[in-house]
Amino acid sequence: MDEDIDIFELAKFAIKIAEKNYPNYKCAEIFVGKSEYLNIEVEENSVKYSEIGRNHGISIRIYRKNGSIGFAFTNKLNKKVVEKIVKNAIKMMRVGTPDPNFKNLPEKLKNYVVVKDLYDKSIKSLLIEDAIEFVKDLIKVCTEDDQTVSQSGDFTASSNFSYIFNSNGIEVSGEESLFNISSNIIVKDTMNGEASNGYESQMKRKLADIDGTKTAEEALRNAKRNLGRKKIKTKKMPVILSPKGTINLILNPIASAINAEMYQYKRSFLVGKRGKKIGSDLINIDDQGIINGRVGSSVFDGEGFPCRNKKIIVHGLFLQSGLLHNSYTAGKEGVESTGNASRRSFSSVPSIGITNLIFQCGTAQKDELIQNVKEGILLNSTADSPNIATGDFSGLISQGNLIQNGEIKHALNETMFGINLLDLFENITSISKEYKIYGPYSAPYVKIDNVQIIGAQS
Amino acid sequence: MYDELSLFDNAFIADLLRKAGNQVEYWDIRATVSEGTTIDFTDQRSTEISSYEMTNCGIRAFINGGWGFSVLKDLNKDSIRSSFLKSIKLAKLTQSLLKNEFKIIERNPIEKSFKINCKLPLSDVDIEDKIKLVKNHEKIATSSSKLVTNTRTIYMDGVSNYVFINSFGSKIKQKLSYLRLLNMVYSRKAGITQRSINSVGGLGGFEIVSTEKAEKLSEKTALESIKLLDAKSPIGGQFTIIADPKLAGTLIHEALGHACEADLVLSKESILKEKINKEIALTDINVIDDPSMGQGKKLGLPYELFGSYFIDDEGIPSQKTTVIEKGVLKNYLHNLETSSRMNFPPNGHGRASSSSAKPQVRMGFTYIEPKDWNIEELIQDTKNGILCKDFLYGYTNPTTGNFQFKCKFSYKIENGEKKELMRDVALSGMILEVLKKITAIGDKNTFGFSSGICGKNGQNVHVSDGGPYIRVDDITVGGLN
Repeated sequence: MDEDIDIFELAKFAIKIAEKNYPNYKCAEIFVGKSEYLNIEVEENSVKYSEIGRNHGISIRIYRKNGSIGFAFTNKLNKKVVEKIVKNAIKMMRVGTPDPNFKNLPEKLKNYVVVKDLYDKSIKSLLIEDAIEFVKDLIKVCTEDDQTVSQSGDFTASSNFSYIFNSNGIEVSGEESLFNISSNIIVKDTMNGEASNGYESQMKRKLADIDGTKTAEEALRNAKRNLGRKKIKTKKMPVILSPKGTINLILNPIASAINAEMYQYKRSFLVGKRGKKIGSDLINIDDQGIINGRVGSSVFDGEGFPCRNKKIIVHGLFLQSGLLHNSYTAGKEGVESTGNASRRSFSSVPSIGITNLIFQCGTAQKDELIQNVKEGILLNSTADSPNIATGDFSGLISQGNLIQNGEIKHALNETMFGINLLDLFENITSISKEYKIYGPYSAPYVKIDNVQIIGAQS
Repeated sequence: MYDELSLFDNAFIADLLRKAGNQVEYWDIRATVSEGTTIDFTDQRSTEISSYEMTNCGIRAFINGGWGFSVLKDLNKDSIRSSFLKSIKLAKLTQSLLKNEFKIIERNPIEKSFKINCKLPLSDVDIEDKIKLVKNHEKIATSSSKLVTNTRTIYMDGVSNYVFINSFGSKIKQKLSYLRLLNMVYSRKAGITQRSINSVGGLGGFEIVSTEKAEKLSEKTALESIKLLDAKSPIGGQFTIIADPKLAGTLIHEALGHACEADLVLSKESILKEKINKEIALTDINVIDDPSMGQGKKLGLPYELFGSYFIDDEGIPSQKTTVIEKGVLKNYLHNLETSSRMNFPPNGHGRASSSSAKPQVRMGFTYIEPKDWNIEELIQDTKNGILCKDFLYGYTNPTTGNFQFKCKFSYKIENGEKKELMRDVALSGMILEVLKKITAIGDKNTFGFSSGICGKNGQNVHVSDGGPYIRVDDITVGGLN
């Protein structure tokens, strides 16, 4: 292991090589990433598999004065290979096309906001033996239940260190931790043999916030709620989205549609809608990058630019400033970056992503929402996603139940629905007080009126 | 670039075997050294031109039903030795907690080297020629119509050297090479934006980009996105559909293939549990998974399909497996573990997305065998229905058996005639029901395939699937209207 390698020195060495081989470059950036993880998997409701691993690597992004870009990366952290990849990046830059839209990489800025609780130092001393305790909680829930046939699930703990250094004076580094637990439970109706599954997961920055028992219990509830599936008739009716449904159907598509790259290339259904109402007054959505302890929070983004909180949609109005930018798209539009440059690892050039996307909750009680529906659907999840360019959605309800006279009834089989997202936004008539956090999303229950349901019952 | 892998010499392997002693029942090591290029253009401008040099290594140990896996990045003897011991420790810990004990059945060792043959090796092609290719596709797409608003072309290639060794005494070396070219075009008219994506690629060298399909890639994509501007949204309901080879392939991949993966059968997640030798489909239908090399050639291509491989990631050679024969389920797809536990011969479906990921049961090239309908007859014979071409994505829930796909193009069929174009047609059905609702299977002239990326438990692998045109009754079609 190259434990002893001084990555700070290696980064500076890389910039020096760039200067030596192409003194006339416009700007350059070195990104170094290091990560470690451990993972335990459950199969057939038993511990099955454990894994530990580490990853590291370095990349260089370099621009010519005319805006052409070169990029190269390696996970061999030694000077010989780093020199080679810097030269490769320069070669790539030389053959690239000019890009007048490229302004500059971020420049050295004022202070960074302190964001607390992004790194839980208990990960340092976490042994695989400790991690197994979380998985045992998953297993226990299933062992104690008669209808359960099987469970698969896992627990993962990881730490990620990143260091960004650019020729404009940016130099930042930070370490973040991430813990994940998931459960997929299979249940069987003992009477008719019908099988179904339910899934639940948690993603947290702090180990102590991971609750295996809660996760498995929720997965089990979902699985049981999904038994007794029946086809229904084609009809228009109201749909109540559970927090997961809200993420699937509203927050996920919004995350793509407000991505400035998608927007500038006119790939978003929200093109031309900035500064305009795009739906019900009840919609308030923010992207908040600096909330303490949240999974989507960071001090700086994938280019070393400070993260921040910003409003996207206020009372149904899509703000003029409601796009998520990295330095490229911001430069193209002549505004400041919003700190949304995202990169999965050292091996990718920064794209754009949400930090924490938050659908602000409303005033309704979740139970009342359901009680007030005469005939409708409670939609827990769909694995489909809308066409972001048009906003058209048509897909399958993978987990949903019929609501009749205010009560949750049988699960749905082969039931699809279709709606354009702008109509969906318009038809939101109520939002719950209750909300759930899944990874970088916060979502309440949302009621949508008048949704076209396509049933398979003839 | 490749000298790192030479450290796996006989003396080192003997040393590892000694270290393992009788502490573990099985172990394997995979290591890869790879290099590659990505060229990403949007609106005729480069947004990324990059190159990489990477190593990956994963070491697995097995004891009595428990697995330990250790991933490392530095390829040197010391770190491999220490990771080897770590994975043994992990396996011991895992097995101390598990309740399902089982053994891995020993298989014959294989000592062999494999190589993808390239007419034009990627290392001999200058970066400028690769860029010229991308620029050319961008130009064709952009200039094809005034309605085109945005284009994107991505070129990706990679070469790698791979070593696999295991405790059975296998030692496998591979030299692999792949290339993929992807084109995306957005068009806009009267406030409506439509998009089309196409890609070509496979295992081979730069010759892949000179095939007819590759040369016409951007022209085809641009035409499709423009055509979609005039397409209508579908009306939902129950319909008879005719699926083209690409969609038929996806249908068989989603509606049957996943549920045939033996790991899902063992974990009780598959609806096909206990269905071997049972009739699950129309008696006319045969379904095959054949990831062995040479499929490309059979289809008239100068390269290998993405779903093909010489040997899987557990040292089992790829081979033809009959999944359904005359409507009867014959075989699940197996890796080393599932074949041991279910007492079937392994059939080479233990695949991993990289040497840093553990092998899972995955498909290779899954297809429906052709029968006797020609396409004109098939349409004429269909009173009312939808002709569905190509797909955007698909997925299935193997537990409930419910699946869904999104088609790229769909044409209404009225009284045996192909009519207007529709977009975003979503199809849904139940695995076991749909296989019995297939009412016609096209002839060999209608056979085709497509390649794509399939995800399972966070790992993406290249797969191919295909078939002739098929007709399926009573499919639920989603729509906005």
